[in-house]
Amino acid sequence: MADKDLRIGAALAAATCSLLGTATPGASIAADAAAKWDIDSAFLYYGESDDRVRDLSLSAHATRDFGDERTLGLELSVDSLTGASPSGAMATGGPQTFTSPSGRDTYSTPAGEIPLDDTFLDTRFALDGSWSQPFARLYTVNAGLGFSSEYDYQHIGANLGLTRDFNLRNTTLSAALAYAQDTIKPVGGLPLPFAQMTDAVGEDQSPGSRGDSSDDKTVFDVLLGVSQVLGRNTVMRVNFSYSDSSGYLTDPYKILSVVDPVTGDLIGRTPAPGASGPTGVYRFESRPDSRSKQALYAELRHDFSGKVLQLGYRYSTDDWDVDSHTLESRLRLPFGGSSYFEPHVRYYQQTAASFYRYSLANGTLPEFASADARLADMSAFTVGLKYGHATAGGNEWNARLEFYRQTAKAPNEVLIGNQIGHTQMPDFDAVILQFGYHFKL
Amino acid sequence: MRRIFAMAAACIALQGCANLGVQPWEREVLARDDMQLDANALDTAFDDHIYFSKEGTSGGRGFGGGGCGCN
Repeated sequence: MADKDLRIGAALAAATCSLLGTATPGASIAADAAAKWDIDSAFLYYGESDDRVRDLSLSAHATRDFGDERTLGLELSVDSLTGASPSGAMATGGPQTFTSPSGRDTYSTPAGEIPLDDTFLDTRFALDGSWSQPFARLYTVNAGLGFSSEYDYQHIGANLGLTRDFNLRNTTLSAALAYAQDTIKPVGGLPLPFAQMTDAVGEDQSPGSRGDSSDDKTVFDVLLGVSQVLGRNTVMRVNFSYSDSSGYLTDPYKILSVVDPVTGDLIGRTPAPGASGPTGVYRFESRPDSRSKQALYAELRHDFSGKVLQLGYRYSTDDWDVDSHTLESRLRLPFGGSSYFEPHVRYYQQTAASFYRYSLANGTLPEFASADARLADMSAFTVGLKYGHATAGGNEWNARLEFYRQTAKAPNEVLIGNQIGHTQMPDFDAVILQFGYHFKL
Repeated sequence: MRRIFAMAAACIALQGCANLGVQPWEREVLARDDMQLDANALDTAFDDHIYFSKEGTSGGRGFGGGGCGCN
């Protein structure tokens, strides 16, 4: 109804102005008030040092207001990923050759360098939709569906949440559930846990040491939150979340170097006559088939006469023994009436998973092991700056540049012989560059 | 489980703090776009996906999107 009134109002204003022979002064205001779609779009470049992962991503988040606090949200993202990724094998004094994940080719790493698998290339599409509406006085219900697809990975998820306002809407409690069903279908098939990397095979043969072609993973999340207005200039929220994953949680592309249990040096291997294949002994990793995480997240926003400080902290702990602390802050500094600068800093620190290994000692295999640096002791630091400018029509364009540095460390207790004092971790720097445009239709 | 009870207790305590908060006519700052807890949603979605792919833990703010994050 209000919508119709506005349109009639705008039409009347336009008719009056044309009768009077003047320009329509309120045209942009009327258009803005009648706009129903609010669209936030952005292009992102993510690039790691040493020709590692590069990602180009386009994303648009559209919200349509249907009045009476009923809103539809749609988010579409497309990612294009190229580059090289650490395989988990350790750097050695001599060159190394590996069979690629497809099982059909090989790639080599020079002496002294961390092995990077440069054979991946992926495009990811993601679509999310959500609906939110009042349920009863002070209650809001929201529901969402999400889907994403990569060459080797499919995700489908659903979520349902309820919020209730209290205390003159100064306090909002929320509870939400989410369920996701993912399917992983790795290039070359699923490696058997701890299977040894074999020689490359021809196009008409199936790669060795592989099991089924695909497996599933389910994730169940619960989130309980409270947001609270603390004063005229301050608002905060605290979330507790519990996440339970089960199924195939191993990274099918990650391997471990098998080493001498005394010296810690890679055990050599000779490919079969006429074949090309690994020059050392490497085994595919194996992770537990369940993981439960708990996290506490707190965020505060405070206005200092137009400047907005945002502070966030997250503590996360899980039964893989990965405990992490994340601290993050943004400060929005308006200037010149229509622009702002927003510096951003973030610090992240985690402990290693209980089954993280730098390598595997030759002999008895552990129950689980992974040399993925993302499961090692790690810290990371991000620093960035965003600039935004509001146009006369009420839209905004913005640009963001950030630097990310990650430093991982293998705990001493997982190092063997000569590895002590000579570990090389796949640390990297990355640049994030983003251009965004926020407009209404 | 103990954490859930602690959280529930915290929620009840916050409800009890009726002194916290403002009157409806005191919301001019809180109503601004840049004071919304979900402001920068697109930036945080990008960041969450990057950190999900590069670090050992993820989530906490809300539900993340899907993806392998294998690379």
